[in-house]
Amino acid sequence: MSETIYTMGIDVGSNFIKLVLMEYSSEPKLLDKHTEKIRKRNPTQVADEMVQIMLDKHGLNYEDIAYLASTGEGDLVKRKRGHFYGMTTHARGANFFFPAARTVVDLGALYVRCIRINEGARVEDYKMTGQCASGSGQFLENISRYLGLSIEEVGEVSLQSCNPEISSGICAVLAETDVINMVSRGIKTPDIIKGIHLSIASRVIKLLGSLKAESPIVLTGGMALNTGMTQAIDETLKEGSKKFEILTHPDSIYAGAIGAALWGGYRHFKLIEKQAAFA
Amino acid sequence: MTQAPPRLTTLLDECKQLAFDLNFTYAKQWKSESENRILVGYLPIYVPREIIHASNGLAVGILGAGDRKQIIKGDAYYQSYICHLPRGVIEMALDDNLNNFDGFLFPSICDCVRNLSGMFKLAKKGKFTRYFDYPQNFQKNIGGTFYRELIETIMNDMFKINGVKITNEALNNSIALYNRNRQLIEEMYAIRQEFPWRLSAVDAYHVMRAGMVVNVEKHNLMLEEIVQLISHDFGESLDNIRVVISGSFCEQPPIGMIKSIEMAGCYIVDDDLMLGSRWIIGDIDAHTNDGLNSIVDAFLTQSAPSSAIYDVGNPKGARLVTQVKMRNADGVIFCAASFCDPALLDRPDLQKACDNAGIAHINFQFHENTGQFKVIKEQAGTFSDSIKLWV
Repeated sequence: MSETIYTMGIDVGSNFIKLVLMEYSSEPKLLDKHTEKIRKRNPTQVADEMVQIMLDKHGLNYEDIAYLASTGEGDLVKRKRGHFYGMTTHARGANFFFPAARTVVDLGALYVRCIRINEGARVEDYKMTGQCASGSGQFLENISRYLGLSIEEVGEVSLQSCNPEISSGICAVLAETDVINMVSRGIKTPDIIKGIHLSIASRVIKLLGSLKAESPIVLTGGMALNTGMTQAIDETLKEGSKKFEILTHPDSIYAGAIGAALWGGYRHFKLIEKQAAFA
Repeated sequence: MTQAPPRLTTLLDECKQLAFDLNFTYAKQWKSESENRILVGYLPIYVPREIIHASNGLAVGILGAGDRKQIIKGDAYYQSYICHLPRGVIEMALDDNLNNFDGFLFPSICDCVRNLSGMFKLAKKGKFTRYFDYPQNFQKNIGGTFYRELIETIMNDMFKINGVKITNEALNNSIALYNRNRQLIEEMYAIRQEFPWRLSAVDAYHVMRAGMVVNVEKHNLMLEEIVQLISHDFGESLDNIRVVISGSFCEQPPIGMIKSIEMAGCYIVDDDLMLGSRWIIGDIDAHTNDGLNSIVDAFLTQSAPSSAIYDVGNPKGARLVTQVKMRNADGVIFCAASFCDPALLDRPDLQKACDNAGIAHINFQFHENTGQFKVIKEQAGTFSDSIKLWV
């Protein structure tokens, strides 16, 4: 591919919208990124404003973007050219960060998804948590709020734990009851938080086991930058017989958006090829 | 990006209202406007509506309660290991949704629907209840003779209620109206094949389903307008794959399922959702001295492929492959109702035909009242991505 084009990827999550602008070529570059918390606003409007602000910031018009790709709740995005499923985009995003990646763990707000990929970022197999929210970022955020912590603090607080108290890993309702009991029993906040991290980590490890995961494992999604979470996964993995390398990237929250932008670029050229073939 | 014409939005809203009115208000109002009018309810998939129309009747499709009615009594009538549709229909009947209907026809789709006809008889619903056992023998002198007698029985049932003797002229007129209806439906599908973003699959479904509960004259007017409106350019195309949905639909899927497939990046360019409305392929001869014979002939020689029909000599798999190629589709999504024996028994053959033709496909099952679409969205999403990126 000789031409360089601009692509955008927008990942609409349940709490945050992540947007990236990329230069797509044989060596793609991440040009800009932006995250916006949805709060109680209309996600469609928020997403559209984010796109416009990004375009204005770089002196671009919408027509200059060869492919605006959505992922996540993509139906909320106006002006998109195409949509890619979250698993496909996280796989590509992880591959962009670490080309050697063979397993991706998307630690999202509503579920955890483990994806086994090949060297071309193609999904080979995946496992994900079911409908229960106790293995998700949203659950962690709720619990941290009950304990008077911000979501940014929980990682560091978790690292201070000396004697973690494990909560239910099956049901969010039971886990919340567990946490209430722990508070009334005087368990220290770091131990409660660490226990929750370990509980989520144990679910991740089960998924990795059934997936027959291969190393290295790249963590993506909102929880990937939570140091308490990564440490809990690392510790739990070390208890097993198989050794894994765990990788995180500062832009891990953008993995979905980056993957969408990259697949968008790929698809743009593929469509041109297809048109040329028909002509 | 130009917006959809406001008139189209209004029409689609009307179709949506009509499609899911479980009290059949429009049909009952239509009946009350004139004496001798009758309402004949029919279960999916096909009955020759021309006969009912010619008898001053309105054929009303009864497609189950979907996710719009809580099933309490219906569960008492059926075991747990059959599909959901008959429970919803029984619930509607026992809740008086089907009051004012004069008769009911139960096409020979499967044992569950056959049993349902018995239950309607026991519950004394309507003035006549018939198991519409259309032939599986397509020889004119055997299946044709049988079918003609079956239709004549129903004509007699209707005559006993309203005293209307069906003339050949009336029958030809009805045939012509339904011919036009099918032509307009095909025009709508043809436009959607080229420009699927102008009319979503959900909207198209509402339009088709509205046609099951209103008179053909009204539906034709609606279709004429819709076809004219979507002939003009508006909206923006998406980089979606194009799929054909195959489910041999008797039990109808929840709207959320169709939406989920579309949201996952698939344009649905053809389907067999409202198969009864498209059962006869092409026109029925509307200019003969024996309209009934034309209807019988059309059934024997122009029936669409369906799991409710025996297909030796004209395999459904080959017909599906032709349909996919004709619609320029990228793949097939098989989605049959859970416990739907006819559809699920046909599925391996249809899949094999797709495999042999190199057509990608996925499959899943649904209930008419399914409320969770995560898995469906996931499957359709990964299917769409795999075709877009790796085929």
